[in-house]
Amino acid sequence: MPAPDVPSAGKASTPPPTPTNSAPVIRDYRAAWTLTGPALILMVLILLVPVAIAGLLSFTDYSLGSDSFNWIGSANYEKLFTRASYEKMFVATLTYVVTVVPLSVALGLGAAILIHSLGRFGALYKTIYFLPVMATLLAMSIAWEFMLHPTIGMLNRTLELGCGTLLERVWPFLANGCADRFPVWLGDKRYAIWVICFIGVWQGFGFNMVLYLAGLTSVHRELYHAAEMDGARSAWDRFRLVTWPALGPTTVFVVTITCIRAFQVFDTVEAFWPQGGGPNKSTYVMMFAIFEKGVQQNLIGIGSAITMLFLTFVMFLTLIQRWLVERKVHY
Amino acid sequence: MTRDWWKHLILILGMIVVIAPFYLMVSYSFKSPGEIERGEGGFFGRQELMVDERCVSLRAPDRKDIAAASQRFPGQTENAIRTALIAEAKSACSMRPVVFNYTKAFSEAPLLRYLLNGIAVTVSIFLIQAVVALPAAYALAKLKFWGREAVFGLVLFCLLIPVHAIALPLYIILAKLGLTNTYAALVVPWTISVFGIFLMRQFFMTVPDDLIDAARMDGMGEFAIVWRVMLPTAIPALLAFAIFSIVAHWNDYFWPRIVVTGNRDLFTPPLGLREFKGDGDGSYFGPMMATATVIVTPLIVAFLLAQKRFIEGITLSGMK
Repeated sequence: MPAPDVPSAGKASTPPPTPTNSAPVIRDYRAAWTLTGPALILMVLILLVPVAIAGLLSFTDYSLGSDSFNWIGSANYEKLFTRASYEKMFVATLTYVVTVVPLSVALGLGAAILIHSLGRFGALYKTIYFLPVMATLLAMSIAWEFMLHPTIGMLNRTLELGCGTLLERVWPFLANGCADRFPVWLGDKRYAIWVICFIGVWQGFGFNMVLYLAGLTSVHRELYHAAEMDGARSAWDRFRLVTWPALGPTTVFVVTITCIRAFQVFDTVEAFWPQGGGPNKSTYVMMFAIFEKGVQQNLIGIGSAITMLFLTFVMFLTLIQRWLVERKVHY
Repeated sequence: MTRDWWKHLILILGMIVVIAPFYLMVSYSFKSPGEIERGEGGFFGRQELMVDERCVSLRAPDRKDIAAASQRFPGQTENAIRTALIAEAKSACSMRPVVFNYTKAFSEAPLLRYLLNGIAVTVSIFLIQAVVALPAAYALAKLKFWGREAVFGLVLFCLLIPVHAIALPLYIILAKLGLTNTYAALVVPWTISVFGIFLMRQFFMTVPDDLIDAARMDGMGEFAIVWRVMLPTAIPALLAFAIFSIVAHWNDYFWPRIVVTGNRDLFTPPLGLREFKGDGDGSYFGPMMATATVIVTPLIVAFLLAQKRFIEGITLSGMK
């Protein structure tokens, strides 16, 4: 094939593009905007405009169905930071995030390391641990509700088996349960949020495990040999000196995505307590608050204020992640 | 092997906790209400014939039935005929618990409709996402044009916004447009996948320019290049993205919960299950768990069949 003076992206890849390319660049220019146009319009309409709308409405007392609204300044935000029920919202959300993120990252990493070190059966564990990630969380929440049922639930039934055995002596919780009754897991404000956290970890750690497994396969064997030469004898030393640093980029990503997902917890809370966010509002997480205030009670102003706060948290987290990725974790 | 026993022990304990709710869900979907209540019957239940009380009470004989049946039972009193008819109804209404649970799952609520809705919604979301994202990704990766950096910057910024987080303003917009309780409401907010654009752009960057040049020399326009040159090279990446997208939207509960209220015809599978839970009484645990099993099974089976692809797709967001 003859090689005429064809303007090509290949040649143009040496920046800056040569002026002889002007004709095709103009063609590219039109085509490019036609190609990106739909995406651009949708991005603006579906992502940016709503953020702006939420921002504006958070300063109003707007509600759907009413024709007019008043600007009420920062009253909505003041409510968020002064009323007890919103304090509960922050406490529940933060408890959830602060519990679920470290646990599901640690369990994901632990499972990945164990599975990676096993030749046989490793794949089987991996498959099983990944199942909750695939399953519809709402359906699984209902299954968990049955597991945790105070009288016919599998958990309390299993605990009952321990009654009258030696276990009862060494485990006060079990002894109390046997003497009186076992906890009403979902109806007790002492346990409710921890149950939600547990299900969050149960559902999410398999995802982290898979990411860590991918990370582990890319750690070079020689690094371990080198560390051993340098006197890293114990498994812990090898982990501390080689594995953990090598998994840095994975960890940054895993922590961020787990955080963002943890902030968005909703399905379990809504499935267990369709009204009100759990016993004594102990599981009144932010997504549920947005849903309850904004959609169910039509208090758009306050719902928008929570939305803005939520966005701030999530954006802040993602920006920290990007910053970390860019500066620290390149090896 | 033997010195690894503790690893297996830990992993097996973990496995039990992970499996437990799945075990319970499937097991309950096999059992009769009595077995669920008393916690007996092992995994499959004893599968003894059970009588569906609702079915019997629906067939409760009234005067007309008794009059009609009097020829079949000549010379008997009305009461005797009534008893005989009730016995007939009972035997007609008795079935194995597993059959009871699964038939109820499909007959009490239009589960089939929900499943079809789920398929329609997830598939149309994915198709629109692909149609919107592929050309944009191609332009961002391979074309030089004024404003490209700005558009890509916008993509990076929009990656920061989870759609669930802006559900409330989206809901207000849709409500103002009168679009709540429509299929459009279920699909529209997801038509733009910024992540998809980002991902496909990264992939297209690796496609050699020569391929595109050759296509241009053959007189192909940019649109033709996207669909006839770029798309075939992108199939693996697109497949991974498809899995990512379909899993996310099949399982999504939050968004459908907001925009679909009351209109059963539009329910997606999770909404249908939620409704089942809302109005179920004690004897309907079995059918409810059957519904849950039916909803969860397709993705789990697909996952077991094509594990590698699924894990790739779900963890896509981890790729650089």
